[in-house]
Amino acid sequence: MLDSSVTAIAAKVRAGEVSAESVTAAAIAQIAAIDGRLNAFLHVPEQSALAQARAVDAKRARGEAMGPLAGVPVAIKDAICVRGVVTTAASKILAGYEPAYDATVIERLRAADAVILGKTNMDEFAMGSSSENSAFGPTRNPWDVTRTPGGSSSGSAAAVAARMAPCSLGSDTGGSIRQPACLTGTVGLKPTYGRVSRYGLIAFASSLDQIGPFAGDVRGAARVLSVLSGHDPRDATSLDVPPEDFEVACGRSVRGLRIGVPGEYFAEGLDPEVAESVRAAIRELEAEGCVVKPVTMPHTLFAVATYYVLATAEASSNLARFDGVRFGLRTTDPAAARDLRVMYGKTRDAGFGAEVKRRILLGTFVLSAGYYDAYYIKAQKVRSLIRRDFDRAFESVDVICSPASPTAAFRLGEKIDDPLAMYLNDIYTLPASLAGVPAMSVPCAPTRAGLPVGLHIAARAMDEATMLAVAAAWEARSPARSLVPPLAAAAGKA
Amino acid sequence: MPAPKLDRALVLHVAKLSSLSLSDAEADRFADELARIVRYVEQLDGVDTTDVAATAHVLLDRMPLREDALRPCLSHEAALSQAPQVEADGFAVPTFVE
Repeated sequence: MLDSSVTAIAAKVRAGEVSAESVTAAAIAQIAAIDGRLNAFLHVPEQSALAQARAVDAKRARGEAMGPLAGVPVAIKDAICVRGVVTTAASKILAGYEPAYDATVIERLRAADAVILGKTNMDEFAMGSSSENSAFGPTRNPWDVTRTPGGSSSGSAAAVAARMAPCSLGSDTGGSIRQPACLTGTVGLKPTYGRVSRYGLIAFASSLDQIGPFAGDVRGAARVLSVLSGHDPRDATSLDVPPEDFEVACGRSVRGLRIGVPGEYFAEGLDPEVAESVRAAIRELEAEGCVVKPVTMPHTLFAVATYYVLATAEASSNLARFDGVRFGLRTTDPAAARDLRVMYGKTRDAGFGAEVKRRILLGTFVLSAGYYDAYYIKAQKVRSLIRRDFDRAFESVDVICSPASPTAAFRLGEKIDDPLAMYLNDIYTLPASLAGVPAMSVPCAPTRAGLPVGLHIAARAMDEATMLAVAAAWEARSPARSLVPPLAAAAGKA
Repeated sequence: MPAPKLDRALVLHVAKLSSLSLSDAEADRFADELARIVRYVEQLDGVDTTDVAATAHVLLDRMPLREDALRPCLSHEAALSQAPQVEADGFAVPTFVE
């Protein structure tokens, strides 16, 4: 059953061919069978998930109208608040935290008759590209458990890749949906900034954060996106645009669509096997009738530096709220009982991991007196130039195609001691984040070693439809279509 | 761009601004790592940004306003339910006024 897509599961539940309860039970069984080897989930409230599924079945039995995600289990990144379910952002500072409210995306999933399956592992506060910054141990890649599934939405990607859930939610600040989707052979989509409400998402960098779906196929991601998107007055940056059915776009012809291929994305540091896999995908789209044109995006090179100034500055401000007063950890150090500032300092030192502290320090530094103009304002200006690169490219093309990550999944431990090398891994996903445009990763031909590779497709702001049309057209021809990691397939047969 | 000397003293100053109490060993390690990252970031210095406006946010001109009206919010009990320490029906904190 879990080999079925989001749309197939919803159709079968709606038709009464399978019960929502049996689908959720199968997901729970798959988690029990293999997640000990993957560490994709931090928390699976089984009884609550089964109760939600039974409520969907009861609704059907009463003859009521069923939602578009009827009975579909959805895994949720642990940065997204679910009422009464432990939500930690994979940080010790939030251990045991139970939100008193649902994020807007959770309300929307519930209204669509989805089942909230559990909370997934991630890099602490979404800061990382490998899952190794989780306070609860790294997630492992279902294609090779010695390798990273990427990050920061590591568990949400691994859960879908290993058929523990047909879809999941992640959040993407600089590539945290697209890079793990690429490294696990799943479809992962970051919407236009403002398309999906951030209310209830534990903030990392507010001008960049977006919630988006992972799914086993493009149509599934499109359906989840249709459910998630829409105006939310509780998020001041939520766009007031009419709802859209993104699934319609998945069947649209791509004949005549113009694909831009930026030379800057096929440069030094790109693994030749990855380059060839992505170029082959672009050639196939050309054979489908797309027009492929070179474009130039000269400021791509500066995206990493720009991002790590702006994102850390915003993070240093957002993470000030974790101070041991209203929620989460408070130090038990006796010195802290007598002095508020000591309590703040020791609580935060004990609660945050090394990468989070590194980014708070960097962000505070670039915002501090004497350095603000030179680093922070300068980076904001370069951000404008990166946006301009996209604006100019989109004058002559409809989508921009590139690799999603310069290499296939690297080994756990390989980059952990070199923060800068880890940051450079995000080079292909950061520019679209800085520009606020939608972008996604769709699997293309794996490497000779069998590791997934992703085609990155970016489109104009609010034009997810064109991006999905191209993604679906490629998926129909992709040799990666319906590949399943042996570990997940073996468990499914057992 | 100024070339700051990212040493233990500067890291400890920034840590104080960040409300992080670091050990000296931590401060030394972060000084090395941050110095490397800041050197990398200084490549932005070479980008010509004359007459380029800063982007603080991609949507500042499109954000809709809502009615300034009272709406339901968390109950008192729910707001206090996750606090590490509660006293007299409020968040308990150590002394901060002598």
